[in-house]
Amino acid sequence: MDHAQFRLVIPSQTRYLNLVTGLAKRASLVAGLDDAAAAKVSIAVDEAVTNVILHAYGGEGEHSVELELRFTEAALEIHIWHSGKGIRGDQVVLPDPKEYIKHPRKGGLGLLLMSRFMDEVQFKADEVSGRNECCLIKKIS
Amino acid sequence: MADLSIAVRQVGDVAVVLPAGFINAHTVRDFEECLEGLVQEGRYTILLNCKDLHYISSAGLGAIMGLIETVREHGGDILLSNLQANVFAIFDTLGFTQLYRVFDEEEQALAAATPERKG
Repeated sequence: MDHAQFRLVIPSQTRYLNLVTGLAKRASLVAGLDDAAAAKVSIAVDEAVTNVILHAYGGEGEHSVELELRFTEAALEIHIWHSGKGIRGDQVVLPDPKEYIKHPRKGGLGLLLMSRFMDEVQFKADEVSGRNECCLIKKIS
Repeated sequence: MADLSIAVRQVGDVAVVLPAGFINAHTVRDFEECLEGLVQEGRYTILLNCKDLHYISSAGLGAIMGLIETVREHGGDILLSNLQANVFAIFDTLGFTQLYRVFDEEEQALAAATPERKG
């Protein structure tokens, strides 16, 4: 399969989440993943883009979120760029599901879902452009 | 089609909630308001029949988590039935199937809820 990539830019508004997750699911199927894996990629992308909109941009809707889908023989890569507040990989603390169940509360599960449903989740900052990136990778088995 | 619509009907003491569509950060407020409204009315045993729920993100899970202690403190519970495979995967992956009782069919969930309410 030829390596291919394309980009989509959306406003930082949750009304576009369904569009993005639908695209992620279809892209997963095109990449060769099965329905169950495609659904998981879709959820991970929802969580990542929601984090950007609500946390990196603080819910402000006039910004942009850029997604790039890269199809390789080995994996589907989804790169999500934004200019809001970034997080580094070493700042990510995943909740312990067992503790979470003992002490239910709102929030904290998005990153856990991303990490469980994708093979790799990376957070990067581009000091030159000032943009931040979340990279989601799903291997094609 | 709207991203999410929610129907509610009462079966005995159980409020059966039927979310249809997608629960994500965009639609979660409607879902949350529905559940909170039931609790405010004293309807503490809630069955989420998810047969038409295509998708739930952590925002939706948070809405359920936020009320579980309240309903249980009042002798109620939140039960789940008719989960589609990908929705079940989300609950199961996070270990939530240990926290909520999950049933294949609504009738099974209603039957399980009944002795609990009398107990």
